Amino acid sequence: MWFRKERTEERLDAELRDHFERLVHELVTSGVQPEEARRQARLEFGDLEQIKEDCRDVSGRWLEDFGKDLRYSARTLRRNPGFLAVSVLSLALGIGANAAIFNLIHSVMMRSLPVHDPERLIQISRISTDNKQASVSYALFKYLEGSMKSISGSAVQMESSPTIVLDGAEELVDAELVSGSHYSVLGIQPSAGRLLEPADDAIAPSVPAAVISYNYWHRRFGLSPTAIGKTFTFQIRNQVFTIVGVTPPGYQGARLGRDPDITMPVSMILTEKQRQQVSYNGFEMLARLVPGASIGQADAEFQVSWQAFLQRAASSMPENDHARFLQQRAVVTSGANGLDIRGLRSDYGQALLVLMAIVALVLLLACANLSGLLLARAASRQREISVRMAIGANSGRLIRQFLTESFLLALLGGCAGLLLARWVSNALVAMMADRGETLVFSAAIDWPVLGFTGAISFAACILCGLAPATQVFRANLNPGLKQTKALGRPRLGQIMVTIQVAISMLLVVGAALFVGTLTKLYSVDRGLRTDGILTFGLRTSDRYPPNRRWTSLGTLLDRLNALRGVSSASAVDVLPISGSLWNREIQVEGYTFRPDESVIVGFNAIAPKYFATLATPVLSGREFDDRDTNKSSKVAVVNESFAQYFFRGQSPLGRRVTSGNATYQIVGVVKDAKYQDLRQDAIRTMYIPLMQIENYQASICNFVVRVSAGDPMRLAPLLEKLIRDTDAGWRLRSIQKYSTVLDRTMRMERIMAILGGFFGVLALLIASVGIFGVIMFQVSRRVGEIGLRIALGASRSGILALILRDVVWMLVAGIVIGSSVAITLTGLTSKILFGITPADPAVFGLAAIVLAVAAMAAAWLPARRAMRVDPVAALRQE
Amino acid sequence: MHPPKSDLLQGTLDMLILKIVALAPIHGYGIAQRMRQISKEVLQVQQGSLYPALHRLEKRGWLQAEWGEAETGREAKFYALTKAGRKQLEAEEANWGRLSAAVATILRTVE
Repeated sequence: MWFRKERTEERLDAELRDHFERLVHELVTSGVQPEEARRQARLEFGDLEQIKEDCRDVSGRWLEDFGKDLRYSARTLRRNPGFLAVSVLSLALGIGANAAIFNLIHSVMMRSLPVHDPERLIQISRISTDNKQASVSYALFKYLEGSMKSISGSAVQMESSPTIVLDGAEELVDAELVSGSHYSVLGIQPSAGRLLEPADDAIAPSVPAAVISYNYWHRRFGLSPTAIGKTFTFQIRNQVFTIVGVTPPGYQGARLGRDPDITMPVSMILTEKQRQQVSYNGFEMLARLVPGASIGQADAEFQVSWQAFLQRAASSMPENDHARFLQQRAVVTSGANGLDIRGLRSDYGQALLVLMAIVALVLLLACANLSGLLLARAASRQREISVRMAIGANSGRLIRQFLTESFLLALLGGCAGLLLARWVSNALVAMMADRGETLVFSAAIDWPVLGFTGAISFAACILCGLAPATQVFRANLNPGLKQTKALGRPRLGQIMVTIQVAISMLLVVGAALFVGTLTKLYSVDRGLRTDGILTFGLRTSDRYPPNRRWTSLGTLLDRLNALRGVSSASAVDVLPISGSLWNREIQVEGYTFRPDESVIVGFNAIAPKYFATLATPVLSGREFDDRDTNKSSKVAVVNESFAQYFFRGQSPLGRRVTSGNATYQIVGVVKDAKYQDLRQDAIRTMYIPLMQIENYQASICNFVVRVSAGDPMRLAPLLEKLIRDTDAGWRLRSIQKYSTVLDRTMRMERIMAILGGFFGVLALLIASVGIFGVIMFQVSRRVGEIGLRIALGASRSGILALILRDVVWMLVAGIVIGSSVAITLTGLTSKILFGITPADPAVFGLAAIVLAVAAMAAAWLPARRAMRVDPVAALRQE
Repeated sequence: MHPPKSDLLQGTLDMLILKIVALAPIHGYGIAQRMRQISKEVLQVQQGSLYPALHRLEKRGWLQAEWGEAETGREAKFYALTKAGRKQLEAEEANWGRLSAAVATILRTVE
């Protein structure tokens, strides 16, 4: 390239020289003296360099100019390492945060499954009473098979985390149990061996087939072909499977946020009852549309089948269950983005969009800040600009040079941002994960994410560079060349600061709302105490003798209670405030339900000493104890709300409540406690003894152990042994502090509070730097004026007021603009907030005060400098 | 004394260059000479306009440049008309004909 450029120059030179020589030659032949001829020729030629320059312009040389600009910008930036560091860092934070949130939004809401023609995949699901998509039954899958014209095939699947024995070692894996049609519906090809086929659904082949994922193949077998043909034992059913193939790389199952290691035919696991029962809703169902069919058509056709299915199933049910059963709804939705079992889209959709808005504001703030700083630099280069324009540089060329500088900054910021994004993304995904399980999103490099990062970096470049570039148009040749210090204030700089204050106001208000929400949630009355409590569960190994479970549970609880350092221990079916809820229909003796009244109450099963352990006061009667066994008469404890609602001030003790096939006598009333999560008010709840549940298993229990002092996790090492000693068939599962469980149910609120708070503080910091920079610059420009004022008798405090007046104006304007935007925007967050309204005046007031303090602190140093101006020195300098 | 000189109308320089080059491949100095001679010293093109115009026409693909030995013995850059250039010339000539006829008509009529 250098070669070509030099050659072009040489040629241009030669061409013009040729012309010149001919001109001289002509003059000489017409009789002019050679010396005089050359003079005349030069005169006629005019400015040779200008001609060359014009020719170069024609042949297009923006690339060359761009290179020059880049080198020039790199040089100027290197000379200001502090400025370079601050600007690249703030851009990297802004761009990185945007890329990270966008990556999550893309992963959770937008990315299509890596399968054949994902747009033609549909999901068939029931609609639960709280309007969420819910799983369907195997019976429905079988009923629909081959009966719908708009779909070419359908498949069901369920997930499981079984223990398998592979090569003699026990191992916990993430498994997916699917119908044999699964892979043909998705339309994917194996990366080795074969995938499951409809034939694999055949009941009871001697050694059924299983497929492993590419990642598992890589992790466990090092991509060795010998993996195919290996067998493993699936512990729950004690069933041996053969690995027959590997799924393609990039495919991570059809579920959002999962990456199953092993996929097995579900037909090997299902009991005959589970195949038939219409209420065994454990499956997610995917289907593929026939070419040309729309989701709407499929839904219309499906609704007819669904009604027929319900009618047929209802005919074998008791008459009074019919109405409720037939009310069930189901729907066809797009399956292109994968199955969202964990409600990630509904739980995080709004939060992610709010976060996206927050980080977009942060980037805008970083740009406004950088723009202000670049503007100050441009203003101090005013003289240079004037000189360059005076000697003939055109303005387009100068603007390009300014943009090159911000281009370089945006490029560096964008690259650093991408690195940061990966880290932030991973941290966020870890925070989103529930109950110790990890969320796995595709690690593949995403062109949409890269494209998005590139686009916002470019936007940042333009935003940062534009304001300084307009300085070129303002460049007034005359005063610019005189080396005077202009008295006029840089208006654009003040606008930039006002914008920064406004954006900071928005972000600080957001931060206050989210932190406030979290604090309110944590301080709400729970009705139980979670501190100092350890919780864990049990896993029973294969073929656990059912008759042992009653005795073992009692023994374990006794031993736990006898443990040194434990003040009380108990067990519960559904751990409160862990996100789960157990509902049951009841009938209350002496209470008639209106037809529109809910017969559903919260239900839970607990061991003795449960209320003592969780410190929930017993208001009357007693809690369960050793008297209440699987053989004694059935008893229940209800909470205050339950008692108030059904018995209206009369004593509930001795009253009877029926649920399912059992009738329980109320023996105690306890204070209300939160059940599903901290947001919901306590619901009417009824507790029964664990020992009296119909099909009790130790493995469903959550144990709660209150320690007398110190960190509950200190008990963990002791427990492992205690449990094995109590029952050799038991293993410890998910041991953790109760407070950890609680934190996890509020992970969305925590993410919002942490990120909101972080970005709020960051905004304050950036805005402070911006205010400091602009005021400092103004003071340095006005030193002469200030000196003059002092010389003429202005007091020091008058000077301080002069400087701070500007700050106050920018501050007030920024806060007013920020607040009015905030009031319209915070409404979007109402679903996320708790105990605080989006327009809470206290929040706005607090945010304004915080901003004012930060702004005054930032302006203090420059203002003090202005106060200390020595009039003699300042005027002499002038 | 030189005869009075006229400024070139905007855009006509390109057409004149194409027309002159159409006769035979020629270097920049030759183009300037020709233009002066044919117009009987009325039109004089400045080097500052000629060379950027030549480079522009070359970049547009209407002219093709080649280095060859000139009668002086030095290397000179010769410009030749390309196919696209010939089409452009025809179009511009036709346009010019219409334009000058129209201008002439107006001048005659209004007098």
